[in-house]
Parts: sequence; structure tokens; C-alpha cells
Amino acid sequence: MDPKQMPTFEAGSSMSSQSRNLNQNQRVTEFDVRETEQSLPRFSSRLDNSFHQSNQAQQVAMNWDPRAVLDSLDILGQKIHQIQDIVRRSTLGNERQLSIQPNEFAAQQQLINADLTCIVIELISTAGTLLPLIKNASASGINSPGQIGGIASSASDLDLVDMLQQNDNVVSEGAKDSEYEELIKGLSDWDDEGIKPISTEDDDAKDNEDGVSGENLPLGSYEVLQLEKEEILAPHTHFCAICGKGFKRDANLRMHMRGHGDEYKSPSALAKPSKEASSEPIPIKRYSCPFIGCKRNKEHKNFQPLKTILCVKNHYKRSHCDKSYTCRRCNSKKFSVMADLKTHEKHCGSNKWLCSCGTTFSRKDKLFGHIALFQGHTPALSMDEVKSQGMSVQGQSDEAMAKTEDMDYLISGNVIDDTNFSGLKGADDDLGYFSSMNFDSFTFGGIDGLQQPSFDTSESLFSFHK
Amino acid sequence: MERAQQQSSDSILATLSVDLLIQILDRVADPRDRKSWRQVCRGFLLAEALRRRSLRVLRREALQGLLRRYAACLERLDLSACPALDDHALAAALAAGAGLWRLRSVNLSRASGVGWRGLAALAKACPHLEAVDLSHCVGVGDREAAALAAAAGLRELWLDKCLGLTDVGLAKVAVGCPALEMLGIKWCLEISDIGIELLAKKCQNLRVLDISYLKITNRSLQFVSSLGKLEDLSMVGCSHIDDAGLQFLNNGSNSLQSVDVSRCENVTSSGLISVIEGHKYLQNLNIGDCFPELAPLFLSKLNDLRDSLTVLKLDGFQVFAPSLKIIGLNCRNLVEIGLSKCKWVTDEGVSELVAGCVNLMTIDLTCCHLLTNKALAAIGDKCKNLTCLQLESCKLITDKGLDCIGTCCLNLEEIDLTDCTMTNAAMKYLSRCSELKVLKLGLCDKISDEGLVHIASNGKKLRVLDLYRCFEVTDDGLAAIATGCKRIKNLNLCYCTRITDLGLKHLSCLEDLLDLELRGVHYITSLGITAIANGCQHLTELDLKHCHLVDDAGLFALGQYTKNLRQANLSYCQVSSMGLCNLLGSLKCLQDVKLVHLTRVPVEGFESALRASGGRLKKLKLLTGLRHLLSPGLIQMLQAWGCRIRWVDKPLNLVP
Repeated sequence: MDPKQMPTFEAGSSMSSQSRNLNQNQRVTEFDVRETEQSLPRFSSRLDNSFHQSNQAQQVAMNWDPRAVLDSLDILGQKIHQIQDIVRRSTLGNERQLSIQPNEFAAQQQLINADLTCIVIELISTAGTLLPLIKNASASGINSPGQIGGIASSASDLDLVDMLQQNDNVVSEGAKDSEYEELIKGLSDWDDEGIKPISTEDDDAKDNEDGVSGENLPLGSYEVLQLEKEEILAPHTHFCAICGKGFKRDANLRMHMRGHGDEYKSPSALAKPSKEASSEPIPIKRYSCPFIGCKRNKEHKNFQPLKTILCVKNHYKRSHCDKSYTCRRCNSKKFSVMADLKTHEKHCGSNKWLCSCGTTFSRKDKLFGHIALFQGHTPALSMDEVKSQGMSVQGQSDEAMAKTEDMDYLISGNVIDDTNFSGLKGADDDLGYFSSMNFDSFTFGGIDGLQQPSFDTSESLFSFHK
Repeated sequence: MERAQQQSSDSILATLSVDLLIQILDRVADPRDRKSWRQVCRGFLLAEALRRRSLRVLRREALQGLLRRYAACLERLDLSACPALDDHALAAALAAGAGLWRLRSVNLSRASGVGWRGLAALAKACPHLEAVDLSHCVGVGDREAAALAAAAGLRELWLDKCLGLTDVGLAKVAVGCPALEMLGIKWCLEISDIGIELLAKKCQNLRVLDISYLKITNRSLQFVSSLGKLEDLSMVGCSHIDDAGLQFLNNGSNSLQSVDVSRCENVTSSGLISVIEGHKYLQNLNIGDCFPELAPLFLSKLNDLRDSLTVLKLDGFQVFAPSLKIIGLNCRNLVEIGLSKCKWVTDEGVSELVAGCVNLMTIDLTCCHLLTNKALAAIGDKCKNLTCLQLESCKLITDKGLDCIGTCCLNLEEIDLTDCTMTNAAMKYLSRCSELKVLKLGLCDKISDEGLVHIASNGKKLRVLDLYRCFEVTDDGLAAIATGCKRIKNLNLCYCTRITDLGLKHLSCLEDLLDLELRGVHYITSLGITAIANGCQHLTELDLKHCHLVDDAGLFALGQYTKNLRQANLSYCQVSSMGLCNLLGSLKCLQDVKLVHLTRVPVEGFESALRASGGRLKKLKLLTGLRHLLSPGLIQMLQAWGCRIRWVDKPLNLVP
């Protein structure tokens, strides 16, 4: 990225150099990957820059500063002109050089699309500055296509067009209607995909959900997009065009919109944006994890792309973030995805199937599978029988440990110091050591004739220290 | 022989060393002679103790002493009849021979008081333990199974009707006893496929497996089929198993010898065909009450088992003559056939069957209503080795049919003629069968004393005689029986209303009598009961229901003499609190009593009598009204001792 180009936004020149480079790269696959690699960071940094400006405007004129708005509109105007230039040039190029590669043409289209998306975002954020209630509509840089899509589809198509027209009719000038529609549709398409997995989320299906391991798309047959860490971790993807409030789901936003007036209450406004059949095939989009070295990162030699934005988010949080949600029941299990915690909490504490080795299972068949696998393991009848390692694995409170230790002191009648205890730990088979102790008085009632050291109660008492 | 030794014991001990005594003892077979032997002197007792391998304990009081004496040599211990056996008693008794035990087999069937502590003590004390029977201990659950699993050498384990047993307990056993060869988990209703799967994975040596009445599915059979040494598989009443499950058994292991799929509603011919195809050496096939009609393909498949199949049970099928003909042709080695409650079994069919299967020894024709004397003639003609013939409710059969049986089948040991129209003449024909051990004549109301005289004339070996509702039988008939059939153990005289105390006095010379049923014999009084108690001291079961004239005196006699009495029905008798308390207090073996409508016993009488029983009772039948009158503490105590109380709600009906 050439920093000098940035402020003046010379997309045209950069484009031409780009296309020259591309001419040298004849192979389609290589082209696709490289192109997206280079273009994504490029315009994200551009956007950062422009957002910087608009953020400034926001800060200065929280209470509606017409100058700031004008400034941003000017910038927008410039951008639109630049895109117009690119489009014109490419049409000219088409007429003159018939030898132009089709993939090159597609790349140009992609670039134009991306630039247009930026403009849409700009527009919305500008519109946001007009409102006093704005919160974090543009916090930490919304420049992922995913989030743009969220915004775009959050307001229904018509609303957005209305809004844009209010803000200077830029769209009709800048881009062809069909292109715009296609953009919106494409975005809303994957947005729908993104919502679905939430409902079907399942612990077991995590891996499948994260990736497309079973899909085996050939490397070049899809676009690879990569979001930045900040974008992935942004809390919301759908924003109210009026008040700026963020939502995780489009449906929630639509419900929210009802509060802004009767026009949002119409069935068409409340309905889920439907997909429209289009003549042009939508390019398949796949996502890459920004974490270098990750298998989901496009640099990895066995790169396995992620299917949807949601997959990216869940994957990134699960694999590369701290596990900040702790289960309040067991206080030991930690999760980085809230949904995972909730799934766990549903079953936490119900791990009633215990193995003699201390491992716990939520299902009987899992326990029995474990027992079938390991020699000598048996199902435990109750918590009493679980051996010490089981206790520590389970994270059972130290209180229990302390209690039993006390018991030992009581039972043996004299104080045994810690070193003695550690000596005993080695001789765990020698239960006879404890056999002389009388449990009868407080445990077994009248069974004084039985001197059974291997009774479960006593065994469990000592097994804590093994 | 031992009488001679008895007279001069001192000199004999001097000349005969212990090993010689043992040599002599080995030739003394009868238990009663052995008892005499033990009573000779200490030396004889010691010799007997060294030789003794098995022991059946009848009284808890004797348990500890007996086990101390026999600890060193005993291999088989039967505690199923021992009353009031609990963990403490068992552990204390085992402690008597600590370190010496060579016990291989322990029978704790119906020992409802034994829990995990006792079993843990058993497993620890007997390192050579190979067989344990815990069947019908309804309280046994996972904990008990876990305690038992410490006996790693266990090869044989019976857990029938251990209602508390779940997959977890089964897993404990499967992991703890990998050498298991025989396992019964019939009626352990909590066990599921998961448990069976683990069992099959861990206990690959299983030869005998009984999984009857479990709620298991085909999945279980898939794993059971992996048991390469399995010989005997019983799965009665597994209604979730169907042909697809049986197909798993056809996996080439070819090991099964006995399969019982009776009452499996969803099994059909095709499933059985796959079993037959997979197991060419099948000897025993029980498919009773599975599906209504025998498919021709199945019948022709029986040809595959021509040499091996010896037992075939087809209870409840529609069996037409052609089917029986095919069976007769295909299964020439058949020794036993069950056609109980089969429809359309005709004389022709039976003739065709026995024409092929001449080796038949046991024929069950219960409720085959169409059979006449012709069938019996055919059986008598062909089956010279017949030992057991069941003809209950074959009403068209007459005395003439039994003539053929009596002349041809001289080895006959057991015959059931319940509800047949037999007369005394038939008894005359049967009296030719000197081997007869079991004779059932219930509801044959034309049998009179004359018939009994015929039976007694050649009935030295008779063990079981059922004269239920034979109204014509009187005291004279019993006199004949008592002189001719000295070995009788079970005698059913229910509703033989002509019998009086005199008849019972005749019976009192039957020393072997164990089970006597006198229900509704309303002329008998305490006098007769006293005579019985005095003479038949081994009596273990006695039914006196509706014997209205029996009072306390009879109970006192029972309490004094029949020390082995285990089961008693005293309902509707005229006994009072005194007699009841005495009976329950003095009989140390009594475990099962029915005390319905004892009109002369007040609530306090029940209370004190039940307290006097001292935890020996395992089963108790009482009127529902008493449930709230008896003190809750008593009921709780009884239940804590392992007693199951059945509360019945019946109107007082003095005439049976």
C-alpha cells in the first residue's frame, strides 16, 4: 500500500497498475487469491482513513454540524466520480483491447463493487451523524463486506434507496441500478446464511459448522475474504438507520424498526428480505481467519475456508481468543462463545455417569463405551467411590478434602503429620492398615462383627489421598 | 452296618483309622443313614466332616457351628432355605472358617436379608468362589453386584429377579468377573442394550446366558452373537426382539446348542430359520407361543438339525397332522416334544409323529382336546422308552387308552391325567408301571379308594400324588397309599372332603412327606394334625386353609414336632392368638405364612405373633384391614428384615 495515494484516493491509477500486474498472471486461481489478498487490506485502510474523517466530524458535531456533513458529502462525491472514471475506462478498454482477459474484467467489477460498498457505509454513517442518539455506528471501523451487508439488508432495499436519494441521489449517478441491486441481494443472501447456524448450533457439530471440510471446493472456485480481528469481534452486525442501535440479528432490527413509525409496520417492511432470482451467478464467498498459522488462514498449506461470517466469528473466538465466559455452576468450564456456555450450562451438573477412574459423562452409553475401551474401569455407584484424581479433575471443592482429612485425624486417634500421610499414599493397596479402625460406632450401626476395611465409605475416605 | 458300629464305637475307633472310616462312609448313601453315622461318636463325626463337600443349612442358629465344623472341606453351600439370614449372620459365619474356605459354590437364592456387606464378606472370605446364586433376592441391586464382582474367579452367577440391578451393576460384574461362563439375569427389568453390549465385550467366555423378559432390542443380540462360546441362550418373552435380531445369531459361530425364544411375540419362522442355518448342532429349541402357524420352510429346515435336535417345544401353535408328519420325518432323534395347548393336534398327527420319533421319552399333550385313545395306542406302540406323558384336559381319552400305555410303556415315571375322565380301571392299568414317581389325578372325580388300592399295589417309588378334588377318596384309600407308597413326598388332598382324622393318622406313617395340602378338608381337626405333626417330622409345607375345625392344639403340635416347616397356610382356621404366637415363635424355619381371616385372633394377637417370628418371615399374607391396625413400627421392622407383605381384601367366605 502506498500511503501517498491514500488521502487523494487515486483509485484509478492504482487500478491500472493493478491490472497490468494481473496481465502477467495468466492463471485464474493464482489471480483470484492474490487479487483478494491485495485488494482487501487496501480498501480497508482507505476506509479507515475516511472513517477517521467522519469520526472526527462525529466528535466535533455531535449536535448536528452542517459543515461536517457537507465535508463528508463532498468526499463521497469525489469517490463516486472516481468510480465513474474507473467504469468508463474499463468500458473503453473493452472496446479497444479485445484481448482483455475475462478474469481481469471480473476483478475490476469486484473492485468497483467494493468501492461502492464503502460509499454506502459512508452514507449511512453520515446519516448517523445527523441524529443526536448515535452511539457506535462506526466504532472500530466497519469495513467488512459482511457488516456492510448487515447494514444494507437491515434497512430494507427500498428504505435504503430512499435514504440514499435523500442524501444527494448519488446512487443513480454512481452505479447502475442493476449492479446495486445485485450487491444488496448478494449481501442479504449470505446474511441469511449467517443467521441460520445459530439455531442449529450444536457442540458436536462445531467443526462442521466452522468450516467446509466436507465441501472440497477447488481452490480457485470461490472468493476468499478475510476480516480483521476488530471486525470479527464487533458485537453487532445490524444497525438501525435511524437511531444507530446495533443488533445481532436482522429480525431483531426489523422488530425494533417498528418503534420508528408506522411505515416500518407494514408487512412488507417486516417480512424477511427475500432472495430474488438473478441471471448472473453469484460468486461463492468463503472466509479466511486473520490469524497467521491457523489452518483456517489462507496462507496455510492445507487451507480450509470458513463458510459464513458466523463461522468466522465463532472460529476466531473459540480458537484465538481468551475464554472469558465461565460456567457459574461448576466454576471450571470456560468458553469464549456465549452460545457454547449456554449449551454447557444446560447439561452442567448432570454429569451423573461416573467411571471409577473419575471421568464423568453426561450419557450412560458414553460411560459404557469408555468402560468397554479401558481395562479395569467400572462404573462408579455414587460419588463416594470416585477416586482422588476424579475429584481433582472435577474440581470438587477443597472443602471436601479438608473435611476428610479431619476425619482421618479423628479416626486414627493421633495426629499424623503431612509426611506420614504422603508415606501412606504409596501404600494404597494396603487397606489392612486401616482395618483396625472401628467405623461401627458411627457408620454401620450394629454390624460390629464385620471388620470390612473395603467398605465403600472407608475406601472413599482414603482414596482422597491416593 | 452303622448300627453295629454304634454299639461298639470305642473299639472300632481303635482299629479303624480315619481314612478307613472315610472309605466306609463313601458307601453310605442315604442322608438319613449319614445322620445316624454322625451321631455315633466324635471320630465318626470328624470323618464325615472331612468327607463332606456340600451343605444345606436349614436353621440360622446352626449356621455358625456347622460352618466352623465343615470350613476346611466344604465346596458347595446352600443357604437358600436358611431363615433370617442377614449380612451380620453371613459375615460372622464366614469368619468362623476364615482363611480356610474352599467354597466354590454358594446358593443364596431368596435370601432377601443379604445385602452388599454380606456379599463383600463372602467374596473376600472365599477366594475360590466360582458360582453364586442370588436369584429371587428382589432387594439385590447394583451395590450388591459390585460387592460380588470382587470375586474375580466367578464362573456362574444367577441374578434372576434381582429387581434393583441396572446396567451399572451388570457392568460391575462384567468387569470384575471376566471368566463368567453362566449368567442369568432373567427379570432384571432395568437392564438395557447398553449393559448387554458391555457384558458381551467383557465376558467372552459366556456359555449360558438367560436374558428372559428383559426390555432389550435387536441391538443386544448383535453383541450377544459375538460370544463365540455361547451354547445356551434363553430369551423368553423378549417382545422387542424380532427376526432381524435373530439374524445376527447366524454369524457362523455355530456354537449354540439350546435356544429358547418362547413368548417372543415378534419372532417368526424366518428368524428361526436363520438361527437354524447358523447353528447346525442345535439340540434344544423352544419356540412356544411366538407366532400362530408353523411355516413349511421352517419345518423343512428342521431337516438340517436331523441328528442333533432332541428337544422341540411348540406350545400354543396350530399344528396340523402334516406338520407333525414332517417333524416326525425330520427329527428322528427327538427325545422330548412339547405340544401343550396346540390346536388341531389329532390322533393322525400324533401317530405320524411317533412313527418317526421312536425315541421320544417326554410327550406334552396338555390341552390337546381332540386326542382320543387312538393317539395313546400309537404312542404305546412306538415309544417304548416313554417316561413322561402329560395329558391334562384330554377329555376324550378313556381307561382303554391307558391300557395301552400301561402295557407298553413300562418305564413311565410321570403321568398327568388332571381333568381327564378316568376311572379306577385306569389305575389298574397304570399299576403295571412300577417306576411311576409322579401321578396327577386332580379333578378325576370318579377315582375312589379302589383306584388308590391299585396304585398302592405297585407304587413303591411314587413321590408325588395329586388327588385334588377327588371327592370319592376316603380314609381307606389313604390307608392303602400309606402302606403301599412309603416314599411319597408331595400329597395333594385339597377338597377331598370325605377325609377325616383317621385318614391323617394313616398318613402319619409317611416319614418322607414334605408337602401336604389339606385345603378345604373340613372334617379334620387338631387331632389329625397332631398325628401328622408327630409322624411326618420333615414336613416343610402345609396348607390348612378352610380347615375350620383345626384349632390351637393342632398348631401346638406343629410347633413342637415339625421343626422344618417352612410354609404354612392357616387362613380361615379357628386358631387363637396363643396358638399363632406359639407356632410363629417356635418354628425356626417358618418363612412363608398366610393368615387371612383368622377370626379369633385379635390385632394384638397378630402383633405379638409377628414379633415372635423374629425376622424369619419372608412372605406374609394378611387382610388389608390389618394394615392400619398393626403398628407401623412392626410393619417397618418386618420389611426391614426382608419380608414382603401381601395385603388381600377378601370377603369372609366360610364355605369354600
